[in-house]
Amino acid sequence: MPEGAPPGEGVAALPVWRLVDDLDAPLDAAGQMAADLALLDAVVAGAPPALRLYRWQGPSVSLGRFQPESDLDLAACARLGVEVVRRPTGGRALLHGGDLTYAVVCPEADVPGSGSGPGVDAVYRWIAGALVAGLARLGVTAAVAHHGGPAGAVCMATQQGADLRVGERKVCGSAQVRHLGGVLQHGSVLLERLPFDETDLVAGGGDRAALRAATVTLAELGAPTDPRVVADALVDGFARTLEVDLTSIPTAPSAA
Amino acid sequence: MDYPDHLKYSAEHEWVAVDGTRARIGITDFAQDALGDVVFVNLPALGTTVAAGATCAEVESTKSVSDIYAPVSGEIVEVNGALDDAPEMVNTDPYGEGWIFVVELRDPGELDALMDAAGYRGMVEEG
Repeated sequence: MPEGAPPGEGVAALPVWRLVDDLDAPLDAAGQMAADLALLDAVVAGAPPALRLYRWQGPSVSLGRFQPESDLDLAACARLGVEVVRRPTGGRALLHGGDLTYAVVCPEADVPGSGSGPGVDAVYRWIAGALVAGLARLGVTAAVAHHGGPAGAVCMATQQGADLRVGERKVCGSAQVRHLGGVLQHGSVLLERLPFDETDLVAGGGDRAALRAATVTLAELGAPTDPRVVADALVDGFARTLEVDLTSIPTAPSAA
Repeated sequence: MDYPDHLKYSAEHEWVAVDGTRARIGITDFAQDALGDVVFVNLPALGTTVAAGATCAEVESTKSVSDIYAPVSGEIVEVNGALDDAPEMVNTDPYGEGWIFVVELRDPGELDALMDAAGYRGMVEEG
């Protein structure tokens, strides 16, 4: 509440964000990416910022916007029933299905301290604060990841400042696209492991032991993994940390 | 932060070096610093026509894809193919080897809408 608000006038209104609860939305992988992009387009056109939360209906692997498709073993993806989709955001291959995914869309100018234009890391840090607060409500002490240098083909195998870690192990990987004054950042919070991982899907395989050692799931941390419980904690983290009102607009059935 | 005096600047953090009817374009020192380590530049296609203020290229840095805007209108007549193998030149030499594309100017009068170094420095430093 701003200083000097007249008594009796009530609490100053918080910025209103649209909350899009798509935990049960029947979207395929391409539909999930289209839904995130639709929110970005809406914000660029003047709609309020939004927080979208979703689960993937089946195992899917997303490639970064400019990542070569040849990084993947497409035959292995098909054999394992893994849908392949390209993200509008940067970064490397990420396996979905055991994660809860968040997407934030807002004008770049809404990022605190944006001045002449927010730096990439400034946006990551701003949203990381909300994610860290949300995870704390689940008893998970996360921190912004170290900058681990150039990534290989697998997102989760390396850390950058976009990511969150518990101890030294990555628990959340995020990526962004900034377009026409709007920013879309989405990322995956690892709830539990699938029977296979990215090393089964990338061309030439990978070091499964190293990937497992570099990552940790909420299940392994003994934290709740029910997507609804995790989603509620993240919503609370965003609302409190970014000081936004995520409840004033009714939950939408989908982002379409 | 470096703001060479001989360049013109857009509010979207591109620089423009004019040579006759052509404009060489890149992103500023401020922009490359805000982006972080550039790992990929999606160059515009040669021969395409761009309009001032429209997006015409993209850069990826620290898992973030960002637009690059055309500060002037015209035809793309050169692109910096060396960035395919060395995108980090956008960071290490933003006003030199890190140039991105060249536009054959359609309307040189558009240059008057750009800032000089002092104006751009003021915009950046005053936030």
